[in-house]
Amino acid sequence: MLYTARNLRKIYGERTVLRIDELHLEEGIIYGLLGPNGSGKSTLLSLLGFLETPSAGTLWYRDKMINNDPKILLSLRREVVLVDQHPILFSTSVFNNVEYGLRVRGIAREARQRIVEESLDLVGMRAFMHEKRHQLSGGETQRLAIARALACAPRVLLFDEPTASVDVENQIGIENIIHTVHQEKKVSIILCTHDMLQTSRLAQETIFLFDGRRSASTHENIFSASIEEHAGQPWAHLAGDISIPLNTALRGPVKMAIAPNAIRIMAEQKDMADQGTLPGKIMQLTQEGTHIRILVDVGIPLSVRIKKQSFQDAGICIGDAIRVQCPSHGIQILGEDQAQRVPR
Amino acid sequence: MSFFTDSFFSALTLMRDLDPELVTIVGVSLKVSFSSTLLAAGLGIPLGFAVGIKDFAGKRGVVTLLNTLLALPTVVIALFVYSFISRRGILGALDLLYTPQAIIIGQFLLILPVVATFTLSAISRIDARYRRTAMTLGATRFQTALVILREARFGIMAAVVAAFGRVISEIGISMMLGGNARGFTRTMTTAMALEYDKGEFVLAVALGMVLMSISLFINVILNVIQGKGNA
Repeated sequence: MLYTARNLRKIYGERTVLRIDELHLEEGIIYGLLGPNGSGKSTLLSLLGFLETPSAGTLWYRDKMINNDPKILLSLRREVVLVDQHPILFSTSVFNNVEYGLRVRGIAREARQRIVEESLDLVGMRAFMHEKRHQLSGGETQRLAIARALACAPRVLLFDEPTASVDVENQIGIENIIHTVHQEKKVSIILCTHDMLQTSRLAQETIFLFDGRRSASTHENIFSASIEEHAGQPWAHLAGDISIPLNTALRGPVKMAIAPNAIRIMAEQKDMADQGTLPGKIMQLTQEGTHIRILVDVGIPLSVRIKKQSFQDAGICIGDAIRVQCPSHGIQILGEDQAQRVPR
Repeated sequence: MSFFTDSFFSALTLMRDLDPELVTIVGVSLKVSFSSTLLAAGLGIPLGFAVGIKDFAGKRGVVTLLNTLLALPTVVIALFVYSFISRRGILGALDLLYTPQAIIIGQFLLILPVVATFTLSAISRIDARYRRTAMTLGATRFQTALVILREARFGIMAAVVAAFGRVISEIGISMMLGGNARGFTRTMTTAMALEYDKGEFVLAVALGMVLMSISLFINVILNVIQGKGNA
């Protein structure tokens, strides 16, 4: 087993940002870490990269329990390299940046030259070898950071949202590099992102995180809402006059997620306002295998996922006015710390 | 007006002819200033680095103290050092008073907070990702510290240059601890004060021009350093 974690906690001040009860990651696999901002993905990567130590719990790496011995942590860091979301390059040449990990390992100069050239070749940046860092674009910086990590010949590569700040062309290039590295170098990869499509393209296994905890699936359509009762029916007020009926004993401020698969789409008809539906407009359509993802503007953006057949039957297209219905069973209350429970 | 122009042209002649007294005074000034700057850099850079990079209880107090010491008048430092190295002081037996070493000690105390504070400031401005990047690439703690120092090098160099500029132009310490002994502890500033007292302006103007040239040179270096830092 590459990593095993039990009761892993990371606490900053009085805030617990990560609480993983159980985690098992195998060697040689690309894992996708999926979750919204603030779900603890980057914190988990820092722990797996031995850049931070857990506040509580136990972490095993290749069946060895990790303690805080600086020498052991250094030897582990020389096997696991993290590529940041916004990598920073040392204020020197491209060559010296890629060479850095080799120099600190005491690799001979001739070998360093060869490895740097190979690593730059892998990311298609050999021509930039003698450029200065400030001459590089965002995408080139990201690719250089990958080359710098690859030069260290890591057993594990950790990527923190590697394509979050690059254009589509570089995004495709970086995904290809990750795929090639995994195939040719047999490197284990843990890729943190909130792009589900990217995860489905690259990862063999997916781990979902939400609010610092592992979750069964990723949550989408997360909103802050206030649950209030009108005519004996609890309604979640999302923003402005957007309200959704739901079945809950909670009242007050909550955080809720609406499952895209549960949302129903209907053609705009008269007298539907009273039936708990929301008027909206189709903004974007994306194919996801056998499903179609529809971005609907209901005053706030709402992501809906329906079967391709249902989409064809509905006969809708971009710009169409529609109505959406969010059934109670598709709504999950995530944060209820400030809400009150009423007897039903 | 002719008095000023006469003094100015006579001073230029002194400089052109490399007047032995002028050369000796400039030599003493440069020697003590370089020595004190070197010592202050040797201690101030590690001190500023350690305070900048580490989180410890009382850090804010240390930073406040260093900032306060920046404003310490030269005469106060001279008095403080005098109390230690005068015949009645605990270091009186070392016979340091009215020697170049005494000036160096005083100037060292004057600019130690300058180097430490400017280094601390340069280190604090360094992006935390440098440390994290060096660590994930397998650097030891020492190698990581070197990366941070390297990234802060322009700020640290500016600190050292500014400290040198401070000591080359100070007079209180040189006068009170050096004693302005001719050919021994007479620096540019103390010599200028003496010449002024005597009503002899030619050497004073010549020394003033040398001092201004050094000051200009320091500022050019500072500009070059800052320009590189911003590149």
